[in-house]
Amino acid sequence: MVEFLTSCAVVLAGLGGVAAAVLGLRRLTLARAEQRRLDAEARLIPAALELLDGMEPVGEVSEQDVDVFAALLGRFGRLVRGVESERIAEFFEHHGWVDYELGRLNSRRPWRRATAAFALGDMGSSRAIPALIQRLQDSEPDVRAAVARSLGRLGATDAVESVVGGFASGRLPGSVAGQALLSIGSSAVRGLRVLNEAEDPAARAFAVELIGLLGDASDEDVLVECLRDTSAEVRANAARALGRVGAEGATLELAERLDDGVVLVRAAAAAALAAVGDHRVVARLVELAQQDEFESARAAAEAAAQLDPEGVKRASSAAGSAVHLNEAADLLELYA
Amino acid sequence: MNKTEDSSPPSALILVADDDEDIRRLLRFRLERAGYGVIEARDGEEALALALEHRPDLAVMDVMMPKATGYEVTRRLREDESTRKIPVILLTARAQEADVSRGFEAGADDYLRKPFSPQELRARVHAILGRR
Repeated sequence: MVEFLTSCAVVLAGLGGVAAAVLGLRRLTLARAEQRRLDAEARLIPAALELLDGMEPVGEVSEQDVDVFAALLGRFGRLVRGVESERIAEFFEHHGWVDYELGRLNSRRPWRRATAAFALGDMGSSRAIPALIQRLQDSEPDVRAAVARSLGRLGATDAVESVVGGFASGRLPGSVAGQALLSIGSSAVRGLRVLNEAEDPAARAFAVELIGLLGDASDEDVLVECLRDTSAEVRANAARALGRVGAEGATLELAERLDDGVVLVRAAAAAALAAVGDHRVVARLVELAQQDEFESARAAAEAAAQLDPEGVKRASSAAGSAVHLNEAADLLELYA
Repeated sequence: MNKTEDSSPPSALILVADDDEDIRRLLRFRLERAGYGVIEARDGEEALALALEHRPDLAVMDVMMPKATGYEVTRRLREDESTRKIPVILLTARAQEADVSRGFEAGADDYLRKPFSPQELRARVHAILGRR
């Protein structure tokens, strides 16, 4: 029995030693591979920069360096736009990388579809847009998120409706969809304007918020329309958006929202009126600050203080002035 | 091979500050190719120290940097008599566009949105240095 146990211990110790040796070897191999990659990268950076600058360095890139070069260009692709981005896309199209990743986008393995979607965004080729839009319907959330990110990177205005729809249906988180649309930039606004007629109030609210972030005063008409939406969230977002775009022509409609039935909308309208800078509403804002519920009263006091600091100081010194007016006046003194 | 693009290469010195090494590489390459001298900083404090030491003709800085933000560095450059006239271009992520006005309030002269167009950068640099 003792002999048997001794033999087992020896065998186990031997196996342990072998496993440790294999792991050590593996670690060494990985470290060497990483060092080779870093060396290749350092060697290829000038060529990648030359390519961005319109030179043709591809002939200098050896077969074994092509993967590193592509990864490097993909990384640079995330940082640049304009003609440099187009040159990167041309490289990937010309060397068959775009077709390769488009093929992988239909793989049965989700992680492969996700990495392909991610890579296609970095390559910057607009040829990938239709396939990526289709992939927004993928059954895997990670794939859909990678697709949305890449559609944003590619500035895919055709994808605006699908991305907002993805958010409204819960297939895309708001942060992912929002980031994608922000990446598409102001050219997404045209698609977003149409979505103020979407059936789903969440989609309308989301679209209106993004118009506020990406649009300008020329979008005032659609935002004013949204101030009368049946959803309070849409009305509040529309008010905030009008403030952000500096819609001076919408002050009357914003002032009307100070009487909205929902406190959130009244607060948003007060802040927007301050941003737009309409002094005619100061008296109404002071009234609201005296009488309304916490959130809108506070917003009204802050707005009034922005528009008429002296008026707010006077109002706060009057007997029985509300706490929010006093707070606003104190802050004015503090930051004077 | 002469890699400078312009027939009369500018000799101005430009400070490039960003914590992302790839961005610094791209900026250095583009600006050196346009004939400018470039010094690099990896964070806000280093940017400030280099600005005080070298008095560059222009600074291109990221807004979000470790140790001191681009706004902070810009403000501190404006406070110092020896650096207050250094023009500043801030690099800002798309999501930070709402903060562009904050950059101008801090004293920045211009801003570029990331991802940026190196050609646009060169044009802005030319324009700002040309105005001086």
